[in-house]
Amino acid sequence: MSRYLILVLLNLPLILAGLLGSLIDLKTHKISRGKYIFQTLLWLVILTGLSLAQPFYRYLYHHHLTRTDAMSLFDVVEITGIIYILFMANRSRIKTEVLERRLQDLHQELSIRLSDDASDNE
Amino acid sequence: MAQPRTKVALIIPAYNEAAVIARVISHLRDTFADSPYEAHIIVVDDGSADATATEAEKAGARVIRHIINTGSGGATATGLSYAQTHGFTVAATLDADGQHEAGDVLNGVKILLGSDTDLLIGSRIIQGENMSLTKKIGNKGLGFITLVLFGINVTDSQSGLRVFSARALAELKWKTSGYEFCSEMLWRARQLELHIGEFPIKAIYTEYSKAKGQNNWNGFNIVKVLLRQRIVELFSE
Repeated sequence: MSRYLILVLLNLPLILAGLLGSLIDLKTHKISRGKYIFQTLLWLVILTGLSLAQPFYRYLYHHHLTRTDAMSLFDVVEITGIIYILFMANRSRIKTEVLERRLQDLHQELSIRLSDDASDNE
Repeated sequence: MAQPRTKVALIIPAYNEAAVIARVISHLRDTFADSPYEAHIIVVDDGSADATATEAEKAGARVIRHIINTGSGGATATGLSYAQTHGFTVAATLDADGQHEAGDVLNGVKILLGSDTDLLIGSRIIQGENMSLTKKIGNKGLGFITLVLFGINVTDSQSGLRVFSARALAELKWKTSGYEFCSEMLWRARQLELHIGEFPIKAIYTEYSKAKGQNNWNGFNIVKVLLRQRIVELFSE
């Protein structure tokens, strides 16, 4: 099996998950249409980049723009790892942001309620 | 039968302002005493280490104490949330260091109630009196950044004197908790299609307020947070 095909097959589930996640966020009104278009375009650019890896790499190779051998299996694993880490980092950031927001809301609500209670007791 | 007076919340986010908070409250109370509004002064003590809360209570303000220090944006959000949940029609925020004139706050409330504006900003730049060149440069710089990042053109994007309509109180929320909230608030207001207006105010700079105020270097931190917020927003839920 071609190593370029392995590269696409390994990353395709992540890209599809990203595309699906954006669509779900749009349909559940969590993101605006503008953001959905931006995120979808981003994932499609990554997919296009991966799909065209072979001709692009060949072009570079034949024009001596790379002084390396053809893509190794290690390169495939490395690129997949980088994309996976980016995917996970973005998910973690979103979760942290939501948690931070909730903590702020909790602190705010607690301060107001304590103030109301203190006022009632006077 | 006499019409009920408009309930106005005067919110003062404060952090370590024990030295001046009583005077700020006293000026506000005197100014609004003869006004047609039912004014309530609310001090949000943002986890001060000094006697800010005690001084504010002694001066007759309602005090909401933050358990931990959250920053100016967090304290303002708490004050506005209080106003919204306690049935206020209008709310105004002002700095606790005494740099705003109580008369300007009253004027802002009058202007907002007489117009369709949802968010009214007291601009220190329109008249430009008393403000040092350094502060003017800093404010103009942050105003430019606000224009570039968020497409909002106001003369004083960092002013602490702001007046909010009932709609703004109910809908306006922001994510940042430091000084950068001033610009982010304008961005959120624009997203909600709220009407934003400005009116000229005077700024009173004393040695105390100069020492407490933001320096231009902190402006770089504000820009950094705003830039990050603008980029992050593209990937957020």
